[in-house]
Amino acid sequence: MNKAKDPFVRVVKRDKMHPLLMVAFYCIAILAALLVGAVLLISLGVNPLVLYKDMFTIGMIGSRFAYKSIEGLLTVFTPLLITSLALSLAFKMRFWNIGGEGQFIMGALAAATVALRLGGRMPSLPLLLLMFLAAMLCAGVYGGVVALLNVRFRTNETLMTLMLNYVALYLLHFVGETQAPWNFYLSSESVRPVFQKLPKAAFMPTIPIGKFSLNISFLFAVAICVGIYFYIKKTKQGYEISVVGDSVSTARYAGMRVNRIIVRTMFLSAALVGLAGGFYVSGAQALSTSITNNVGWTGVIVAWLSKLNTFAIFGVSLLISIMQYGCQVASTQFPIIDSNFADLLQGVILFFVLAADFFIRFKLVFRKSAKQQKGEEA
Amino acid sequence: MNRLDVFTLFLFNIVVYNIPLLYGTVGEIIIEKSGSLNLGVEGIMAVGAIFGYLVGCYTNSLAVGILTSFICAGLFGIVFAVLTVTMQANQNVTGLTMTTFGVGLFFFIGKGLSGSWPVMTQYASVNDGFKNPILIPLLSKIPVLGKAFFSHNILVYLGILIAVGVWFYMNKTKAGLRLRAIGENPAAADSMGINITLYKYVHIILGSGIMGIGGYYMGLNLGGSFEGSNCWINGYGWIAVALVIFANWSTAKAILGTLVFGFFNTLQIYSGSLAYAFPKALGFLSKVPPQLYQALPFIITAIVLILTSVRKSNKSAQPAALGLNYYREER
Repeated sequence: MNKAKDPFVRVVKRDKMHPLLMVAFYCIAILAALLVGAVLLISLGVNPLVLYKDMFTIGMIGSRFAYKSIEGLLTVFTPLLITSLALSLAFKMRFWNIGGEGQFIMGALAAATVALRLGGRMPSLPLLLLMFLAAMLCAGVYGGVVALLNVRFRTNETLMTLMLNYVALYLLHFVGETQAPWNFYLSSESVRPVFQKLPKAAFMPTIPIGKFSLNISFLFAVAICVGIYFYIKKTKQGYEISVVGDSVSTARYAGMRVNRIIVRTMFLSAALVGLAGGFYVSGAQALSTSITNNVGWTGVIVAWLSKLNTFAIFGVSLLISIMQYGCQVASTQFPIIDSNFADLLQGVILFFVLAADFFIRFKLVFRKSAKQQKGEEA
Repeated sequence: MNRLDVFTLFLFNIVVYNIPLLYGTVGEIIIEKSGSLNLGVEGIMAVGAIFGYLVGCYTNSLAVGILTSFICAGLFGIVFAVLTVTMQANQNVTGLTMTTFGVGLFFFIGKGLSGSWPVMTQYASVNDGFKNPILIPLLSKIPVLGKAFFSHNILVYLGILIAVGVWFYMNKTKAGLRLRAIGENPAAADSMGINITLYKYVHIILGSGIMGIGGYYMGLNLGGSFEGSNCWINGYGWIAVALVIFANWSTAKAILGTLVFGFFNTLQIYSGSLAYAFPKALGFLSKVPPQLYQALPFIITAIVLILTSVRKSNKSAQPAALGLNYYREER
C-alpha cells in the first residue's frame, strides 16, 4: 500500500471549458470587482449606484451635449485601442513589449517634429502622411532595436523596453521644458515653456455628423483592428507569429527564420504604437508631457484581459475607456472621484479576471478520503 | 553658505533623498531571487506609504507607522503571490496591475480624506522622530563625512541594516541558499524537497513589506503633504527595478548603487548651487539639462543590460528562472 499521503488539494489542468461557462466566469469576476468598488465608494459616502450610472453612461443621460461625451470618449478610446492591438502582436510571440509608453512618445514626437518643421510648406494630406510615416518609423526603430538585441545577445526585452520608456519620457520633458533658440517645439510667445500648437495643416480631419464631429483617426483604428485580425488569421506572417509564440524550437524545426520574425513583428508592434502617438498628437493639436495618458501600461492590461483576441481587445479597451472617461465626467459631480478611481477599479477587475482564469484553466482536486479509496480499490 | 557646506549638504542629500530606492531595491531583489519579476514596486510602495503615514499619524508613533507600512505592503504583496504562485497568472501583467491599483488606491484614499488629512508637523513624535538625526558616536565628528553619512534619521540606518542583513541571509544561511536555488531552477529545488510555494510566498511578502517602508519614508520626506496630482513615489519604484539590475541582484551592491543613482538624482536639484559654489571646476553642471540626470539611471541600466548580455558573462546573478511561473505537473 502507498504510505505517502497525497496533498489535501491538488491543482490539475482542466480540459476545454464550455465557452458559455467561461463567459459566465468572467462576468462574475467583473461583477465582483464592481462590488469591491462599491464598498470603497460607500466608505467615502458616495452612492455607488449613482456613480456607476454616471460612469457607464459617460454622463450622457439627461445631457444636451451627449455628442460631446462621445467625442471625448473617442479621444481616450482610439489611442488605447491601437496601442493594445499593437502590443498584442508582440505578446502573441511571447515577446514582452512593455515599452508602449516610450514608443507612443517617440511616435508623437516624430509626428510633431515633421508637423512643426514642414507645416507651412505643404498641403495637409502629404503632410499628414509624412507625419504618420515618421511616427511609425521612429517608434518602430525604437522598439526594433530591442528585438535585435534580444535575438542577437538574448538581452532581456521586458527590462529593456521598460528602461526605454523613461528615456523617451525624459526626452519629451527635455524638449518641453528647455527654452532655447533651437527649440522649435516650444511656443515663442509664452514666457513659460509651453508646447507650440501644430500648424493647421497637421490637424487630423474630422467628419461632421450633425453636431457630432467624428475624428478620422477612429476610423483608422477600426481599420487597423480588422487588418490585424486578418494579418494574424489569414497571412503567412501571422501564422509564423503564432508558431514562434507556441514554441521557438518548433518554428526553427519547420525552417522558419525565427530571428527575422521576432524583429519584424516587434518593429510592426512598436510602429503601430507610434502611429497611435502620431494620431493622438495630430488630434490633440499639440504635444504635452502627459501625452500618453498611461496608454502603454493600460494597453498591456487590455491585451492580456482580452486573451490577445483581436475583437475582444476592441470590447475591453472600449470598457476601460468608458470607465476612465466616465470617471472624469463623474468628477464634476463627485469631487473626490477622478480617473484614479478608474485605475483602481481597473486593477480590481484584472485581479478578479486573473483569478477567474485560474479556475478556467485549472481545477482543484481534493484528496479522496480513505473510505472512498477503499471503495475504488474494491 | 561656504563652499564646503554646499558640498557637504550635497552628499547629505544624496543619502537622505535616495534611501527609499534602497528599500525598493532590496525588496525587489528578495522577490526576484525567488524567481518572480514583480513590476508592482511603484504601487506597493504607494500602498505602504499611505497606510503607514495615516496610521503613524493617528497613533502619533513613527514605529507604528513603519510597522504599518511594512504590514500593509506585505498584505498587498499577498495579492501578487496568490495570483502568480498559486493561480499561475502572468507576472508582468500582475505586476503592472499592482502598480495601477496601488497608485490608484493612494489617490483614492488621499482624495477621500482631503479635508481631514493629517498634517505631519502636528504629530510631534512622527515629525521629530523622522527629522531629528541620530548622531553616530565618533564617526559623526569627522568633518564633511560625519555630517554627510553619519548623522541621519533612523530610517536611513534601518534601510542599510536591512540591506546588509538580507545580504547575509542570502549568502550565508541555508534558507538563503534554498531561496536562490528556487530562483535558478525550481524543478531541481522541488526535487530536493524544498517547499517552493512556501518560500515564494514568504519572500514575496517580505520583499513587498520592505518596499512599503521605503514608500513611507518618501511620504515623510515630503513632509506628508498630499497633492492631488503627484504620487509620493514619483517613479522611484521603477528606478528600483532598474537598480536591481545595476546592483547585479546583490543587496550589498545595492547600497553602492543607491548612492550612484542617488548622485544623479540629487545633481538634478543641486547642479545649480554646486556650479555656483565651484564655478571653475563644476561650472559646466549648470549647462547640463536636468532631464538628462533624470534619465541617466535608466540609460545606465539599459547599457548594463546590453553589456552583460553581450559579454555573456557568468558574473550576472540574474536568476535563471526569473519571470517564469513554476507548475509542478509540467516540469
